[in-house]
Amino acid sequence: MLAYVVRRTCFGALVVLGVLLFLFLLFFGVTSPDDIARRAIGDKAMPHVIEQWKKNHGYDKPRLPGPGHLTDNLLVEHYRRMLTFDFGKSDADNTPIVDRLKHGAVPSLCLTVPEFLLGLLLGIWSALVVALFRGTYIDKSTTILCVVLMSVPILLFIIGGQYLIGKQLRWFPISGWERGSSAMWRFLALPVIVGVLSGFGGTVRFYRTVFLDEVYRDYVRTARAKGAGDMRILLRHVLPNAMIPVLTAVVMEIPFLFTGSLLLEAAFGIPGLGSLTVDAINANDFATLRTMVFIGSLLFVAAQIMTDIGYTLVDPRVRLE
Amino acid sequence: MHPRSWPVRLLGIALCSLACTNNPYPNADDGKKVYYSSFSEPPRTLDPAVAYTTTEHEVTGAVFDTLLEYHYLKRPYELIPGLAVRVPVAEPLPEGRVRYTFELRPELRFQEDECFRRFGAAASREITADDVVFQVQRIADPQVNSPVVEPFSNLLGFSEFSARLAKLGKDDGTFSKLPARERYRRAGGIEGIKSLDARRLQLTLGAAYPQILYWFAMPFSTPVPWEAVEHYDGKEGRAPLQDHPVGSGAYLLSEYDRQARIVLSRNPNWYGLGHPEWTAPGAVFPSDGEPGDFGPGAIEPARKGLPLAQIVRAEYRREKEAIPAFTKFLQGYFDNSGIINESFDKVVRDDRLSDEMKSYGMRLDKSVEASIYYIGFNMEDPVVGTAAGERGRKLRQAMSLVVDTVEFLRLFANGRGVPAQTLLPPGLYGYDPARKNPYRALDLERAKALLAEAGYGDGIDPKTQRPLHLTFDTADTSPEGRQAVQFHVNNWRKLGIDVEIAATTYNKFQQKVRDGAYQLFQWGWVADYPDPENFLFLLWSEMARSKHNGPNTANFKHAEYDKLFLAMKSMENSPARLGIIQRMLAILEEERPWIEMYHREQYALYHGWFAGVKAAGLSVPTLKYQDLDPVVRRQKRADWNRPVLWPMYLLGLLLLLAAVPGVRSYLKERQ
Amino acid sequence: MVSALTNSHHTSNVVVLLLVLGGLWLGWRVKRNEPWHDALADAFRRGPTAWCVLGLYVLVALADSVAWKGGVSAAAPDQVARFEAKSLLDRAVGGKTEKSYSAPLATREFARDRPLVRPGTHLLGTDKLGRDVLFVTLKGARVALLVGGFTSLIAIPLALLFGVLAGYFGKWIDDGVFFVMSTLASMPSVLLLVAMITALPRGTIWVCVALGVTSWVGFCRLARGETFKLRELDYVNAARALGASHARIIVRHILPNLLHLVLIRFVLLFSALVLSEAVLSWLNIGVDGSWGQMVAQAKNELSRDPIVWWNVAGATVGLVGLLLSINVVGDTIRDALDPRTRGDRA
Repeated sequence: MLAYVVRRTCFGALVVLGVLLFLFLLFFGVTSPDDIARRAIGDKAMPHVIEQWKKNHGYDKPRLPGPGHLTDNLLVEHYRRMLTFDFGKSDADNTPIVDRLKHGAVPSLCLTVPEFLLGLLLGIWSALVVALFRGTYIDKSTTILCVVLMSVPILLFIIGGQYLIGKQLRWFPISGWERGSSAMWRFLALPVIVGVLSGFGGTVRFYRTVFLDEVYRDYVRTARAKGAGDMRILLRHVLPNAMIPVLTAVVMEIPFLFTGSLLLEAAFGIPGLGSLTVDAINANDFATLRTMVFIGSLLFVAAQIMTDIGYTLVDPRVRLE
Repeated sequence: MHPRSWPVRLLGIALCSLACTNNPYPNADDGKKVYYSSFSEPPRTLDPAVAYTTTEHEVTGAVFDTLLEYHYLKRPYELIPGLAVRVPVAEPLPEGRVRYTFELRPELRFQEDECFRRFGAAASREITADDVVFQVQRIADPQVNSPVVEPFSNLLGFSEFSARLAKLGKDDGTFSKLPARERYRRAGGIEGIKSLDARRLQLTLGAAYPQILYWFAMPFSTPVPWEAVEHYDGKEGRAPLQDHPVGSGAYLLSEYDRQARIVLSRNPNWYGLGHPEWTAPGAVFPSDGEPGDFGPGAIEPARKGLPLAQIVRAEYRREKEAIPAFTKFLQGYFDNSGIINESFDKVVRDDRLSDEMKSYGMRLDKSVEASIYYIGFNMEDPVVGTAAGERGRKLRQAMSLVVDTVEFLRLFANGRGVPAQTLLPPGLYGYDPARKNPYRALDLERAKALLAEAGYGDGIDPKTQRPLHLTFDTADTSPEGRQAVQFHVNNWRKLGIDVEIAATTYNKFQQKVRDGAYQLFQWGWVADYPDPENFLFLLWSEMARSKHNGPNTANFKHAEYDKLFLAMKSMENSPARLGIIQRMLAILEEERPWIEMYHREQYALYHGWFAGVKAAGLSVPTLKYQDLDPVVRRQKRADWNRPVLWPMYLLGLLLLLAAVPGVRSYLKERQ
Repeated sequence: MVSALTNSHHTSNVVVLLLVLGGLWLGWRVKRNEPWHDALADAFRRGPTAWCVLGLYVLVALADSVAWKGGVSAAAPDQVARFEAKSLLDRAVGGKTEKSYSAPLATREFARDRPLVRPGTHLLGTDKLGRDVLFVTLKGARVALLVGGFTSLIAIPLALLFGVLAGYFGKWIDDGVFFVMSTLASMPSVLLLVAMITALPRGTIWVCVALGVTSWVGFCRLARGETFKLRELDYVNAARALGASHARIIVRHILPNLLHLVLIRFVLLFSALVLSEAVLSWLNIGVDGSWGQMVAQAKNELSRDPIVWWNVAGATVGLVGLLLSINVVGDTIRDALDPRTRGDRA
């Protein structure tokens, strides 16, 4: 078992290194340090100012290792900084990235965690109800509703939600953010509603399939023959056995809770980590971008390892390779 | 369904209806004179030597006071004394030099700040002429990278000082680590700006440049304390200077989260609050202005002579999207706003405020911005530029004859613009409303004829026997931006010319411009100060983008135009100057490096409780002149924002109803 | 609308011809093959409306893909159009342009109250530049099917290739493929897409390539897992013992068993890709002329006062109609192939 954990962790570390390399190649294939400098300083900058800026930010080195500068190049710098968690300052406005991370984590989590939990609870609850009433008109109508909801792009939910709830009904502010716990939930209500609604269709369909897979199994028929009630069967037999695929899906979502929902944050003006990433993409801010991707990949790899370990612990049929 | 969940659902709805509101501000601020506004682009720097964008100037204009200011109400713009006692007059010296002498008011103090405590005992100190000298030296400092080096180079010895600083820095590695004041001292200072004593300042210019006074009405030349520059160096947890301005204006920066919120609070050390008895022009509301400035529907006459800085605090919130920002304005959560295209028809009817908006108590202010928006040709391109000679000129003239500005303004700006005949906007010396540019009329037949003369009959390129193919480069990838360019393309297709739109990211666009790989583009320019030189210089060959990375993106190079420009550049307004300007405009008409589109008109909306406002076409600091009535505002906000709760109750009812048949069938199944 | 003065319509015509021929050949093969024929008929029976609607979309897209030059009058205002290739759809429905917005079936302009050039003919009104919204919506069908279909044609074979190879051969190949998969999956897809689209040349095809490269991972994982299971089956072991080559085993035993997964995944991927393209259009890097682009414009138009709703309505109907019918068709196929529900009469 330990060997397996070690092996998976090593593999995970390799993936993170691979991600860093891929990000580096991708970014510097598209832009150059000169571009980053110009975006940060402004277009009127004279060449010597650009050189100065590059020197200040450590971009005045060659990009890849080569003869004469095997360790003194951007790639090695890139790895060194990330692996020592030395995130440095943003290229666009010189603020320490760690500060931005701390500031952005709170709004992101306040948005993603309630949305995730609510979506999960609602999804599982609805799927259980549908499994309970399978075959009746509730099942049919819910299925149709789910397919329709899945066919509507999230953008329409956003636009429609802002128009209906923010503007016509005036229940919640259309967008924006205010720090402080009492005011926060007002700004979160609309994005959470939009997020849950747009994911509802897919979630319920997925869990419905999972639960129905279980419900049609022999042991359920046996339990019913023995006289157990429907509710009891669902909660005590079906749900625990269906937990494995549910858990897999849930655990794999956790990294994305931290990195924030890019679309919702951008559309609703919530200054979280997702918004930070979008701003960094638009402003060519490589320092911030690589930090976000690095953290995201770390979390993703960690979640994957945990899932795999959990899988082997829970299901003895899975062979350990 | 669980019967137990019904009470929970009802409770949830009840709670929601109690707390539902869309007010984004804390209730405690409801009765105070706090001004709320928004900004879309975060400021990059608040260093007065560098700050150039509108948002940045909104902050620096309030935080930094300048020697001279613009009169708030008079148009055309007039300079009045600010920190200086009077507006200086030019004294001619031998060899064509000119001298100005400023005298600062006594007992002016900077805002309180901890940087002063580090170098002295008190939390603030008196402003001296040296502080202005220091700031101008900073502009010359290559490390600061100020964008306004060019106009200040008219001061004697300015460029030499800058070169000496650069050389000292290169020769000695430790030089750049020294504090700024020491470095400037070692480089010997600027001959053209000197302090005669604690309160008198002398400028010496190598040649006449009357526009220099305008630069002393902008935050670039504000007095800056050296303590702030040394203290706020970004080390040991201290903010960098770009994030922590220390000034002497009516307001100071009390909260700064550039991505989300900027808060300005009234500065108790401001001379207008400390010395109301001076009734200084920059500290009391003006008593004269344009006809129509005072009266019902405009500014109340009772305001004349009132002390300024009535507003206690100003809060600017980041609104990335224009539509939610405008909606918040309509709900009363912002005190003023521009108008967005999408709501224009609701707000403006027949060129005046619609009745619906009037019932809100709003006011509309229109002003023509001192700006020009145009389509440009890259004159270094072989097909459309100077190299194509007569053919190229006729092609440009033909294309200029089919660009329909009036329709464009109607479609994309709700008519908010004055179609431009030349590049000079109304209100500027040299603007002639009667002047008609022969190539800015709509004449499809004439355009076709010119095209045929150019050898592109029916738009066909003789080399390929297909429609002439040109490229229009733009950095605006939004749907609106693309549609705007498509509108022009549709017009050129009438001539048979095939213009391809290349909408790329900002980076790629700038790269193309640097590489000279563009033919057509669109651009705009807003005046720094109200002088025609500030527009005509945009086509001066020394400003060419390809050579000196200047704003002449059309790379226009015309020997006679250059000669005329250098002649009129530093002339005072006179018939001779007018004559030269008119000749320059005639050259531009024939050569067509630009297709002039329009001068933008700014429509500003103000709520009824917001007072003392007049729209300014230039970047003029206005916060200290404004006032508001918080009681009226609180009432209106409550009136306009009652939540509509019945759908929530209806939803709850529907959910309950939907559950009934399901529960019934479930119970039946159990039996 | 980018200039269409190239000769790309020739390629498009050839592709359509190939598709039609291929479709006919497939139909002939299916007719000959009993179980396939039954499955298809069963699937159709379960959701005839959805199949017909989908067929309609395909027809409209094909009509927009067949283009040729010429046939435009010399008196038309648009002089360049004479040299451009116009499709069947363009000739049938297009060409009715006004100056700006007009409401559906209106006779006067929306904001200005001037009379229209063709009053009462615009079923869905006109957009900001005066184009007939119904026409623009119909043209969007081709874009959506191109994005969904062509990208899936890139992503699925890619995923199959890597997944089956990884699952069958195991060890180093599996480690390598799994490594690449994990790396790609750990990066936010928005980032990858934006970077790729910025780097690649402009054009619909390259957006499809970028989308394809970022969406093959999900199916690859599935294919790999399934191949693991299939590899251990008795008859595969027997075939190996009998000396069959790896290629033969893969093609004859493994791939056919993955076919139903491929079909279902194709449907899911298609919907996901069309939705992704909508998000890209919202970020202004999507494909020109797509429904996503129309929705992106809607953001501003819905906030107008009075509101302009027909643009977004057209795009919504197009999008939801396509995705809904694809989802239902996918369900019918899955139900027809699933041994548990096969044979049920719905």
